[in-house]
Amino acid sequence: MNYLTSIKKVILLQNTRALMCAASSVQNELLTTQKVPWGALLTNRQYRSMPTHGIGKYRHLLPKTLPKKKKDKIQMKQIKAASDTEFGVLNVCVSGYDMTLVEHYSQYIHNFCNHLDIKVVESYALPTKTTEVMVMQDQGTKMYVDGILKTYERFVQISEMKATLCPIFMEVLLKNQPEGVQLCVKEHTEADFQSRFKARPELEGLIAKMNN
Amino acid sequence: MAAPFRCIYRPLWRVITGSGRLTVGMRNISFTENHFSATNHKTASVGSPWTLHGAVCLQRLPVISQDRNPIEEEFSGLMQQMELERSLLSDHELRLLEDAARMSRKQEEDYDSDEEEDYGDKEIVTAQDLEDAWEQKLKQFHPAQRSNGDKLDVSSSERCLADSLVLLIKQDVGSQKVWLLPQVQWKAGETLRQTAERALAHLPADVKATFLGNAPCGFYKYKYPKDIQKEGSVGAKVFFFKAVMCSPNHLPLEKNSFAWVKKDELKDFLTPEYLKQVNRFIMSL
Repeated sequence: MNYLTSIKKVILLQNTRALMCAASSVQNELLTTQKVPWGALLTNRQYRSMPTHGIGKYRHLLPKTLPKKKKDKIQMKQIKAASDTEFGVLNVCVSGYDMTLVEHYSQYIHNFCNHLDIKVVESYALPTKTTEVMVMQDQGTKMYVDGILKTYERFVQISEMKATLCPIFMEVLLKNQPEGVQLCVKEHTEADFQSRFKARPELEGLIAKMNN
Repeated sequence: MAAPFRCIYRPLWRVITGSGRLTVGMRNISFTENHFSATNHKTASVGSPWTLHGAVCLQRLPVISQDRNPIEEEFSGLMQQMELERSLLSDHELRLLEDAARMSRKQEEDYDSDEEEDYGDKEIVTAQDLEDAWEQKLKQFHPAQRSNGDKLDVSSSERCLADSLVLLIKQDVGSQKVWLLPQVQWKAGETLRQTAERALAHLPADVKATFLGNAPCGFYKYKYPKDIQKEGSVGAKVFFFKAVMCSPNHLPLEKNSFAWVKKDELKDFLTPEYLKQVNRFIMSL
């Protein structure tokens, strides 16, 4: 029985072999010139001595990415002596009520830094803050909602800016500041970094319980 | 350089607000001085034939944005029209449509108010009423004028609100009265930036200004005429520092000795060589 099934398989393979011979001439050469075990006929693989072997591979060319840690480390500041003083890490904060103006201005600052070869570490946004403006009614004591204002904030983080370049940089930013947009340049601190994370009330509750 | 030039490292802490007509609010800068005195420490008494001056280039920043070109106007009009046509209706506009439909249904004879869904107190205040109330409020708001026209002359700092202006002073240099940026001679023992700050303080008008950095932005040297040249001094070197005005200056300055000028008007006031050096660091917006 087994012998019969194996013969049937071979006959089947012979048929497939005939089909493949008709398909491409390259594969024809392979099949006729070399002694190929019949298992290999099932696949369309390129043989290792083919010049185009592994032609589509690219994973070995990419840089090795380590598995990402949960928390980044904050960069250390650098103070060089004398005339080449550089600032450490600065945060340029753009905030306002009009989203298009705020976004465009922060993009302008980012492109400007790229143009002047100032290193931009990060460029991020803080969550939108919604403010409700409530007005007292003319007759009566009830307050009603007059309007809703949303405050948008964008940060551009700069590192190692030369102190000689700083006045020019600040002047261009100030002169191109649109109306209704506030600009703020401050140093980056750990508190600024922590403020981006969401508060975790359950974790803090558990820690408090542990400590008690 | 003969002057001891101490480099000061300071952490920046600035809050700068720019909003419409009201110019800039508070600027808080904190200083820490670190002495990096390893380099030059020659005192002036060793001798250089040049006297040093520090000058301040005080600028009033533009208050409003510039007017658009005709092409820019057309394009912005086109973009607004396109955005309007592509946009979806907002909540308020939907409410307006609903109210209009409900009103038209009310007018029909076979109107049954029980068939309507429960919409609470929207009967009392319709969306149209709200819109009318808002329009009334808008009419009460009067925005400030964008341009004061030709009423203001050169000595007022409210001149061209869309451009940045530089302060010029008529000082006597030697025997002549010359227009230049406010400058003061350097005293031994102070940094050039402190000289510039002194120059600012010497102005009769009380202006609060923020200096943009410790590094000078420009430099000009001139030789004294032959008859004034003594053994020690050949001429003078002037270092310019940039400063930005924080508080709006409402005090009127004397017309003949002070001027707030734009960059292209500078050539009417300054001498050619001075102008050449000054033009290098004054940015036209």
